[in-house]
Amino acid sequence: MTLLLQVLVDGFVIGALYGLGAAGFTIIFGVSGVLNLAHGGVMVVAAMVAWMVAGGILHASLLTGVVCGVAAGMVTAYATYYLVVRPAQRSRRIPDEEREIFILTATLLLGIVIQEGIAYLFTSNPVTVPPLVSGVVHVFGVRTPTNELLIGVISWVVLGLLWLFVNRTRQGKAVLAASINPHGLAMLGFELPQIHRLVWGLYGLLGGVAGVLLATFEGASSGLVGGLTASAFIIVVLGGLGSVPGSLVAAYVIGFMETVTAYLISPAIRTLPGMVLLLLILYVRPQGLLGRR
Amino acid sequence: MQWLRSPRLWVAALALVAMVLLPLWVSEYVLGVLTIAYYFGVFAMSWDLLFGYAGEVNFGPTFLIGIGAYVSGMLNIYTSVPMVLCIAAGAVAAVIAGVLLALPALRLRGAYFGLVTLVSVLILQTVIVLFASYTGGEIGFSVPSILSIDSGVNYYYALAFMVVSGMVLLAVARSPMGLILQATGQDPLGAQALGFNVTKHKLAAFCLSALFSGLAGALTIFYLGSVSVNTVVDLAVTVQIIIAAVLGGRRTIVGGALGAIFLIVAAEYLRPIGELSNLVVAAFALIVLLFIPDGFLGLFPRREARS
Amino acid sequence: MNTSARKTIWTLGSFLAAMVLVAGVSLVAPAAHAKTKAPIRIGVIAPFSAIDGASIINGAEMAVDEINKAGGIEGRPVKLFKYDNHASATDAVRAFQRAVKQDHVVAIAGTFISEVALAIEPWSARLHTPFIVTGAASTKITGEVHNHYARDKYVFHNWLNSDFQGRVVCDFAKDELVGKLGYKTAVVMSEDAAWTQPLDVSYLKCLPKAGLKVLDHIRFSPDTNDFTPLFNKVESEHADVIIAGWAHVGVKPTVQWHQQQVPALLAGINAQAGASSFWKSTNGDTEGVITGTAGVSGAAVTPKSEPFTKAYTKRYHTTPAYNAYSTYDSIYMLKAAIEREHSTNADKLVTGLEKTDYLGTVGRVKFYGRNDLYTHGMEYGKDLVQTVVFQWQHGKQVPVWPHRVSLAKLEVPSFVKQHVAMNR
Repeated sequence: MTLLLQVLVDGFVIGALYGLGAAGFTIIFGVSGVLNLAHGGVMVVAAMVAWMVAGGILHASLLTGVVCGVAAGMVTAYATYYLVVRPAQRSRRIPDEEREIFILTATLLLGIVIQEGIAYLFTSNPVTVPPLVSGVVHVFGVRTPTNELLIGVISWVVLGLLWLFVNRTRQGKAVLAASINPHGLAMLGFELPQIHRLVWGLYGLLGGVAGVLLATFEGASSGLVGGLTASAFIIVVLGGLGSVPGSLVAAYVIGFMETVTAYLISPAIRTLPGMVLLLLILYVRPQGLLGRR
Repeated sequence: MQWLRSPRLWVAALALVAMVLLPLWVSEYVLGVLTIAYYFGVFAMSWDLLFGYAGEVNFGPTFLIGIGAYVSGMLNIYTSVPMVLCIAAGAVAAVIAGVLLALPALRLRGAYFGLVTLVSVLILQTVIVLFASYTGGEIGFSVPSILSIDSGVNYYYALAFMVVSGMVLLAVARSPMGLILQATGQDPLGAQALGFNVTKHKLAAFCLSALFSGLAGALTIFYLGSVSVNTVVDLAVTVQIIIAAVLGGRRTIVGGALGAIFLIVAAEYLRPIGELSNLVVAAFALIVLLFIPDGFLGLFPRREARS
Repeated sequence: MNTSARKTIWTLGSFLAAMVLVAGVSLVAPAAHAKTKAPIRIGVIAPFSAIDGASIINGAEMAVDEINKAGGIEGRPVKLFKYDNHASATDAVRAFQRAVKQDHVVAIAGTFISEVALAIEPWSARLHTPFIVTGAASTKITGEVHNHYARDKYVFHNWLNSDFQGRVVCDFAKDELVGKLGYKTAVVMSEDAAWTQPLDVSYLKCLPKAGLKVLDHIRFSPDTNDFTPLFNKVESEHADVIIAGWAHVGVKPTVQWHQQQVPALLAGINAQAGASSFWKSTNGDTEGVITGTAGVSGAAVTPKSEPFTKAYTKRYHTTPAYNAYSTYDSIYMLKAAIEREHSTNADKLVTGLEKTDYLGTVGRVKFYGRNDLYTHGMEYGKDLVQTVVFQWQHGKQVPVWPHRVSLAKLEVPSFVKQHVAMNR
């Protein structure tokens, strides 16, 4: 019984964290049509800056560290858009039918640049951001670090805010509409550049928060960049490209599958069932669980 | 014989002569660097057949390379099969794996295809690490046979292999099949409407790419004398292959070889700045991708008009 | 000028540029010439960007500088060549080849990753160049030398292999964990890597003899991120102490151990915890963690240990990791071998190294012989090399074992103490 509860608690937090990262990733795809293969970079940059400010070098307060970290995530997202994605989208030298592949490859290269940059500045050794709260809490007889539960709660609060934004505010609704039909939106008179500015900033925010939270729980290092991108990619495709609810569901599916595998079989192959599931879904239902396109 | 007047042909011939005569001037170490570069060139050229022509971005060339390398390596360690047959077996295994991967994967479009190839590499890596007692896991293993200790001999093996592979791949690319591939890559619906079996052609391209990748992978490990996940499976290697093909010029085949040589030689020059060399190379490739998307060879367009 | 002529000039021009590029590569490196008489060239290979890698390079550098200040080896200055292997087997092999063929070194030291050492080993044999491994722990390194002596005799392993490292932990456990703390049970928890296979075998054999019953044996993938399930398992078994075998991981499991307040002491081998920067990387969560290493500030293992630790810390602004000590010693051992044989010839160097009996910074170093199980491995023993076990206490690495170098008693973190008290 305790084992089941442990799996539930652990899986809940992991799923929430995955979901936060994946949500941003899928929104970007929906609105900009871009699969950002430098996604892990946004998260790890945020984590490293948070550590640098709060933990390692500047010894400022934790709150300052977190804020700086999230800001750094947004900066990275904007840099990705304005320095790489937009030039690639507008370049007349790239033939239209290959544009998608070029953007994909360009973001992949950017991811490498970010990863190597972090390794150069911080070495490849992992660091952790100090936990938001210390101590443990007993949940149904399972001892869990309070920080871990807090992460899960914060993730859901942020996701809730995201939902409110998308469904209740004018700009948010514009973003939602843009993710369904960007051209239609332009015809209706909305300024697309403004939408893009908003969306990429939102993406940076989500990724930054996810990155900082992850660092308090598991730590971060330059080596994580690739893995985080791969996980987000897998989750988002599983859930359906462009669908935020889909990626949340998928995040939990993958999160729980990994946790159960780690507990019951062996942590060594925790990622395997998820990858196999992805392959199956791709062959059977490529648009993912809740996808539209 | 109009093609005899093509300046490109003369340049290529001159370059070939230079490469053959190189061992007379340069040190053993430089030969070693170029040997690796030539094998890498074959990785990149095979990749270009898929990317530049069939229009499929393969994020897992190391899946094929890795299978070629590991199968031939393990045969060499666990059986007394002669080295040449091990290499051949590795290549065959890569083709079979390629077909098994491609058959279902080619039904998927663009990014999805890329994702499947990416996941295939991750799965291969996990499996290798899981069965560490047979595969050496992360550590890898040394193979008892090697091609040669002599740098010169190794250099010529690699050069010959690269030239032959290049000629075969180029011939395929320029052949009617290659033109059909280009058509299916750029406008699959149109090609289908014209009656071409898109999947069959892409599959053939994939098999060819797999053959050369697997062969090159096997030869590389018998040159190095060891195989590990780092060398032939890791995603970092995939990125280098992509950079090489893009820098050299996609849809040229030869560009892949040029890009690989440039990359590896540039890494040597960048040695003094140590850690930053990977960053500089990736950043440079990114700039090239954005501003000179046709790569180095793209600066010298062919005389034939593009339809 | 018409287009096609312009094109021809372009293409020929770029082709010439390419030729210059290739020729240039051979000029960037020093021109090849027969072995120079003047300096003695030694190479050192390690991943520059890892803390343990930088330690290797720095340790070698310090030794070379000291030797040159004191007049060199037989009057000849020593020239050190450094190579970054980026923790990759391929890069390491190429670096090794470059060192021998281009830079003409007489011997090479370095690397702390077993995978890399094993990839280099056959090349050391093929190129007849002595190679001293100054880190790593896999028993395969010396296994190859034992099984194929004539071929692989050029390789020496100047660090305790996993088998011995396991015994160190058991000796420590017997004296401190059982003897002083009265512990009775343990769980072995190792990353799944080649170096931990013989380590775990060693643990499972000697821990019961030391007085600790092994309740479970956990092996996890080195790219595990979430250790919660594993720690929960340990807790459910009510073990007193976790005996670790960690090198590729360190920060993550340590932080999670602390935050989850796992009620078991963390001891064994936690290689990354040997670095002084570990305190910062874990934000102090490493308090109470016990691990073994070559040297710790304040531990006078030999008369040379403290001076080295102080000088290194002063020069590089961080404490030396274990392989700084072993690499530093290795350079001096090479010097002794060259002086013994009056030659830098490879085979003579091998003979010279085999005769090593050197009091270094880690202890008295001798290598096992041809007929011993671990040919050319570092000899383990009370009067030879035993290493030092320390515990992180209040931000400092405090040596706690062996008795003659210990500076304080073992402290038990509060969340562990309660549990053990409850279990009595």
